[in-house]
Amino acid sequence: MHLPPWFWFAAIVIVSWGIVGLLQKLSTNHLPADSALIWLVVGFLLLQPALYPGKALFHYSPRSLAWALLSGVLNALGAWALLAALYRGGKASIVAPFTALYPLVVVLVAPVVLHESITFLQGTGVLCALIAVVLLST
Amino acid sequence: MQFIFTLGTIPVALALLAGRRFKLEKSPRGIFYSVANGVLSGIGGLALFAAYRSGGNTGVITTATALYPLFTVVLAVLVLRERLTWLQILGLGFAAGAIVIFSLPT
Repeated sequence: MHLPPWFWFAAIVIVSWGIVGLLQKLSTNHLPADSALIWLVVGFLLLQPALYPGKALFHYSPRSLAWALLSGVLNALGAWALLAALYRGGKASIVAPFTALYPLVVVLVAPVVLHESITFLQGTGVLCALIAVVLLST
Repeated sequence: MQFIFTLGTIPVALALLAGRRFKLEKSPRGIFYSVANGVLSGIGGLALFAAYRSGGNTGVITTATALYPLFTVVLAVLVLRERLTWLQILGLGFAAGAIVIFSLPT
């Protein structure tokens, strides 16, 4: 059986991020959320040399660099909250899928901020996400 | 952009570090799990980028990879012996549906 390269890369994404969810829970079994986040950022920084884009970095506009920085800040704050949820006894099997519903916020805010419209299908997604939040919280 | 994005996480880590007066627990396991967390997150990000670059259908890749939390659920049940109620399992189904719908190209 021959599978295309993208399949294997996508499989690596699912496996590595799936394991991350497990490690998040394991880390908060030993550390409080703030320490776990500090060491997580250390892990991020270990990969920075592999991510350095070289001269391309200077081709981005200051504005898009600022947005990328801000999304990093917000992502770290979100990760901190996620780790705090796990530290306070949240199950990995509940917190991981629950927090993966974050596009719900994008779908609801995009019409207001970016003047995008919500399609019927996205509306169905919002409904599914809200039902999921209620059921996962039981 | 992932490079800049990562730089954005540093001030948050520094603020938390200052908040605990630069003292950290000496828990080798906790530190190992947390650092591995950061490294694996980055590897996942690089793999996603590679998947998009390797010529697959962008929509399929986005939808398939967005379902990674379900793999966490499988691992949590198998490794951590977490148990879910039937209502929560139903909730997982709705969550998976929502994730797939949100990841579809508009």
